[in-house]
Amino acid sequence: MINKIKISKSEKIILSFLIILGVFTFVSLIILKNKCLFIKNHNPNNIEFNNPENVVILNANCGNVIIELYPSISPKAVKRFKKLIKLRAYDNAAFHRVIEGKLIQAGDLEFGKKENLDYGKMGSGKSGLGTIKSELGGKFKYDKGSVGLARTFELNTEDSQFFIILQDEPLYEGEYTPIGRVIYGLEVLETVKFIPKFHIVPRPDFINSIKMLN
Amino acid sequence: MILFRAILLFLIFITPLKANTIYNLIKIPNLEIYKIDTKNGLRYLYATKPFRLGVNVKKNISCYNSNKQTLGKKYKIIKKNLDRYSLSFLKKINLKYIVLCENLSISEINTAGIPNNITRTLILDIKFNKRHFERAIHHELFHMVNDSYKELFNENTWKNFNKKSFEYSQCSTCNDNWNLDLLDNSSDFFSEYAKSTASEDMAEVFSHLLFYQNKIKNESSIIKKKILFIKKNILKIDDTFKF
Repeated sequence: MINKIKISKSEKIILSFLIILGVFTFVSLIILKNKCLFIKNHNPNNIEFNNPENVVILNANCGNVIIELYPSISPKAVKRFKKLIKLRAYDNAAFHRVIEGKLIQAGDLEFGKKENLDYGKMGSGKSGLGTIKSELGGKFKYDKGSVGLARTFELNTEDSQFFIILQDEPLYEGEYTPIGRVIYGLEVLETVKFIPKFHIVPRPDFINSIKMLN
Repeated sequence: MILFRAILLFLIFITPLKANTIYNLIKIPNLEIYKIDTKNGLRYLYATKPFRLGVNVKKNISCYNSNKQTLGKKYKIIKKNLDRYSLSFLKKINLKYIVLCENLSISEINTAGIPNNITRTLILDIKFNKRHFERAIHHELFHMVNDSYKELFNENTWKNFNKKSFEYSQCSTCNDNWNLDLLDNSSDFFSEYAKSTASEDMAEVFSHLLFYQNKIKNESSIIKKKILFIKKNILKIDDTFKF
């Protein structure tokens, strides 16, 4: 007959410690590391839009960001943005400037693409189509989720780079050309990689694709 | 070369972020919004801490933050005076941001204001000389006009209005006499300070016109020519402008 061996108190402590360690490892490696876990991916096919011809689907690591463009406010800027989308120019472009909770910027087609990333020049690249004039006359409120064309310190230098704001920015009104607003999926942008207190992101996240809905 | 690139990249990545929206727009640190939804589109900002500015390492412009009470009192006066300018006029002269701070100085010399038509900003010293404070607002605003329309406010044309024997100083701070008090009715200048440079003289004429409106009693024919010149050219910029 085999005698049952009772687990000692110290063995119980070690076992509990190992279980806790296992759970902690699982949570930190699988659940916490997956920043997309609780992000809803919006499927544009399941949504009805009022102006489908002005709807843009930006696909990033954690899902779709759906943007509505406003050609009535900034006709030239929207035209440029649509043109670059149709050329698939924004695909694989880096989110090169990300300020935590404030702003996310992308669209450097010269130095900010996955295949030819140049950290030294990132943010200064152009599209090759030339600059366009700032369109600041229209009424537009720069609320959270607003999309605008980036420019240099001077007006009328908009090209391909665009930004999306993650908080209200009333001072942007009349300063930057608005092109649209995020209508679904702003939470996807809040997961984009940033480095606290730094403005250029080393090894940045990328836009997978940007397409027009129609 | 590899080492150089590595150092360059390191410097880029360690550049601390100045995420402040106002800094990104007008390149002045330590500011916050005071009032932005104004009728003529002017955006009033105030210094929360002292700041220094300058083109190179020697940041020769400095200004200090003020207390809320002074700020509130002076804001009312500044707004009352700047409300006289329309949105379209301010757009034409590239003025959008008014920075309120105190003890403004450039190279350690106190000044009422510092205009910059590239950043569309006018920094105003809210503790500037009480007696001339309101008029100084218009004086500084004229420098924005002048900087945007140098061809209209031609200094050589202006100099010809003066007596042949008269010469301006080399610069606005070269003279020791910075008195802003009104000179007597027969003088060819509104103040001693107006004698410093042609551009300061123009700003003095403009500010007296705006501040005293139709109460100017000066009878000098030179002053009359100067007033006509300023009025004519301001109306060229905006024909709806009211003096």
